[in-house]
Amino acid sequence: MKTTKIALLAALSTAFALAGCGKKETPPPAAGASTSGTAEASATAGDTAKSAYPGLEADLAATLKHESNFYVIKTAADIPTNLAWTSGPDLPEFADPNAKKGGTLNFYLQDFPRTMRTIGPDSSGGMRQYLLDYIVMGLVLEHPNYPGQAVPGLAKEWAPVREERTMYFRLDERARWSDGAPVTTDDVIFSFYFHRSGFHKLNWYTDFYSKTWEKVTVFDKYTFALTLAELRPDFDTRVAGMTFYPKHAMADLGPDFVEKYQWRVLPTTGAYTVREEDIDKGQSVTLTRVKDWWARDLKYYRGRYNPDRYRFRIIRDHDKALEAFMRGDIDIFQQMTAVPKYWYDTLPNNHPLVADGYVHKATFYNRIPRPDWGLYINTAKHLLDNKDVRWGIQYASNFDMVASQFYRGDAMQMNTRNDGYSWRVHPTMMARKFDPVKAREYFAKAGFTKQGPDGVLTNDQGERLSFTITTYRPDIRDIMTILKTEAIKAGLEFNIEVLDQSTGWKKFQQKQHEIGLLAFSRSPELFPRYWEDGHGSNAYEDAYIGPDGKFVEKFSDGTPNPKPTRVRPNTNNYTSTFIPEFDRLIEHYDRSASLDEMKALAVKMEEILYEEAAWVPGWAQPYFRCAYWRWVRWPEGMNPMLARYADEFFVHWIDEDMEKETRSAKNKGQTFPPGIHVFDQYKEP
Amino acid sequence: MKFSLNPITAKKLRRFRQIRRGFVSFTILAVLIGLSLIAEVLVNSRALIVRFEGKWYFPTYGAIIPGRTFGLDYDYATNFRELQARLEKEPERGWVLMPPVPYDPIENCYPGEFFRPRAPSFAERHFLGTDQLNRDVLARVVYGFRNALIFAGCYIVLTYLIGVSLGCSMGYFGGRLDLFGQRLIEIWSQVPFFFVVIIVASIVSGLGGMNLGWLLGVVVLFSWTSITWYMRSVTYKEKARDYVHAAEVIGAGNTRIIFSHVLPNVISTLVTFAPFSVAAAISALTALDFLGYGLPPPTPSWGELLRQGTSNLSAPWIVASAFGALMLVLVLVTFIGEAVREAFDPKKFTIYR
Repeated sequence: MKTTKIALLAALSTAFALAGCGKKETPPPAAGASTSGTAEASATAGDTAKSAYPGLEADLAATLKHESNFYVIKTAADIPTNLAWTSGPDLPEFADPNAKKGGTLNFYLQDFPRTMRTIGPDSSGGMRQYLLDYIVMGLVLEHPNYPGQAVPGLAKEWAPVREERTMYFRLDERARWSDGAPVTTDDVIFSFYFHRSGFHKLNWYTDFYSKTWEKVTVFDKYTFALTLAELRPDFDTRVAGMTFYPKHAMADLGPDFVEKYQWRVLPTTGAYTVREEDIDKGQSVTLTRVKDWWARDLKYYRGRYNPDRYRFRIIRDHDKALEAFMRGDIDIFQQMTAVPKYWYDTLPNNHPLVADGYVHKATFYNRIPRPDWGLYINTAKHLLDNKDVRWGIQYASNFDMVASQFYRGDAMQMNTRNDGYSWRVHPTMMARKFDPVKAREYFAKAGFTKQGPDGVLTNDQGERLSFTITTYRPDIRDIMTILKTEAIKAGLEFNIEVLDQSTGWKKFQQKQHEIGLLAFSRSPELFPRYWEDGHGSNAYEDAYIGPDGKFVEKFSDGTPNPKPTRVRPNTNNYTSTFIPEFDRLIEHYDRSASLDEMKALAVKMEEILYEEAAWVPGWAQPYFRCAYWRWVRWPEGMNPMLARYADEFFVHWIDEDMEKETRSAKNKGQTFPPGIHVFDQYKEP
Repeated sequence: MKFSLNPITAKKLRRFRQIRRGFVSFTILAVLIGLSLIAEVLVNSRALIVRFEGKWYFPTYGAIIPGRTFGLDYDYATNFRELQARLEKEPERGWVLMPPVPYDPIENCYPGEFFRPRAPSFAERHFLGTDQLNRDVLARVVYGFRNALIFAGCYIVLTYLIGVSLGCSMGYFGGRLDLFGQRLIEIWSQVPFFFVVIIVASIVSGLGGMNLGWLLGVVVLFSWTSITWYMRSVTYKEKARDYVHAAEVIGAGNTRIIFSHVLPNVISTLVTFAPFSVAAAISALTALDFLGYGLPPPTPSWGELLRQGTSNLSAPWIVASAFGALMLVLVLVTFIGEAVREAFDPKKFTIYR
């Protein structure tokens, strides 16, 4: 009996390591991932089409005909002549044009990618960044040092016409797919068709590509125009990240896309692709630099994407990966941001590898919207609907200790949920600091005056001041423990619940949690969003009742319901925030075309949120950290301002001579000056 | 009623006592269990005795005592180590007697300092060092041991209750019950144990939180089957014996025959398996905690300590403590098990040599 159990245990721990690892190496659960989760759950769009799908060409032709309001086909003669074509401002490059090409860079992934698709189920794993996000050329590029400023990408020039909400584009005729085919407006039309088709089973994309744009107009092989449904201040960079799919390589597209394209690597417009022979299932994946990549000498792209190959081996455990790094099997180790002990204890500055200069360590202060770590208090729950209780919880949550003692003073407590935008959302707002005395005052106001034998406060009805904090991030259980042991000083009991990712995510989406400890990651946008996680219609089904007694999306048409009861599932309003006045501001904000007006509104909205106290500001790290062998080289200043990870913009290169020199010096015991770098040129004041 | 042992049982116990290794192990384990039951007196951040301004306090058990009671400026539980330090400066107000290890298993022992493991220090009475959240490792080992024991105790009672009842019934009644029961158990025991436990655990924790009860239920659900095989076969054998027929003739009911006549005669099988079941229970709990599917944090547990240890290899005292404790207990239990098996070996008492 014993032996079988031990064998089972061994088998299981391996199996579990395979299945249970976090999908992403990024610290926060991505908001994008959440949305795609909803889509996966309710994906049906593709299924209905399955029975009568006539093949790509026929279906595409029929769609263009049928949806001629959306897909507008015109001729070159129809291009307006009074357009102000631009290629964006002349901005400094952020890579080093003298970077050396060549070499193989070794990385690791925790989990073997479950697909080579960049869209569809399972495609949001850690590999996707290296297949799509960091690699594939966007229509334009938002300059990572100048937020809001676009520079050429696939489009060599463009012409905005604000009053028509339309942006005209001219594709670079040099732009090529990695198989040599040119990038044309056929691919643009095809990509819209594909994204809207639902073949990828992600309704989020179908929705996004249908609602954000009003129409696509094609004029000739290289010229087209996109019309937005609404004019927003980020008009100029709205399309920055837009990427396309190669029509010529997807001729067999159909409702069976997900299965058929599971392991197929499509031609790319980017600098790296995966060769079929480099997919060693379960073991490693290798990226290879596209031969004669079309953009290699273009401004903003030269000096980037330098190594010939990127090899990702699978190492399920970060601790082991660090061992492999210290052995020299991995060139860059990036997990040091999230786990302070790697930086301070496992590879401290006085470690021989660092002190002898073989391995360099770097801290790079970036300026990006921070993942909003914090306590999401579900105001729809009993007791938590009491504002005094929430104010008490604000004062009873010791995130200051998390920042100063767990992150050893490197992290800081956030002040608003929207810290880290290029402008400060509220110029003076500060988080409420841990203060058990004040917390007890607020708890007393809410009727919690007696202290039970276990130190937990109770009210006259005998209810204990005890709430469960839920998370689906096992790696932050220590932080929850810290909060728990501190909160009891204020007479508040936190129970800790660590769920696996899908169970936890579902619990939040169903709004069954009392308090959640989590974060949404944000892509660097020009302004924060409030509607998704703050609007009453995302909190309650019956928040707004129209004249006909039915729920209406827009507040102006309906009347706020003073006592809504039906919690609305599957939205990101995890605090169940419902404040009619706030909703009115959101609606104003979301329709505003002026950034200055939005800034003024944001100040008001942040003040309302502070008063509501449903989100306890957690910690933020204003930097990323990594360690790398000295042969990995960086441009001056290391990375551009918006870099979230060291390798995101591919500005590094490998000096192969230096690698040889270092390896032989290490064997001989020769040393180099140590390199412990701090890049604080973008540090927030 | 005078309590007297069955002479054969007495003989078996005597034999057990003669097996030195097993008996010594048993004694050590018994002492450890005994100590763990009064752990609050030995390892605790609450004082044993406080003499303050003419009054006596015994804070070890019972409700927390707010700091204000002792003139401190807070309402939460008194930090007695601080109080002790303070009263040492003003001895006229009173004194504090702390337990030998003055820490509890969940408190941060270094408030205001970075969270990182610290090496064992006798001067600070962190005899096994601290873990990555500045908690005393010895305290976590001790309370983790007690949790594991409670778990193992309940585990044995429940698995044996189910396993013995079903196993004996199958062996005693035979026929269709045996045939189908056996097949069902065969199927049930093919379910991969840990995998299902983890799946169920993840569902259960979404339904109001994991606790000892749930965890026990889940583990027991998949662990009772093995004992049924043994119980079935020994009952089958015993059923053919004359004393069973005799009982039948007297008119004893089935329940009475199984529990009052058959069971005492097969008890040696149970006793022999018991220590190994304890080991299995402790391993299962540790494994689940190690994987993060056990008791919720910050409950002290060996699995959690092992996991911390393996991810903090630069702080070897964590993994060494957890591993050492686990190994010690499992070795002791195994020695006891071996000795029990030998002492209760039916070959020693049978006439069929």
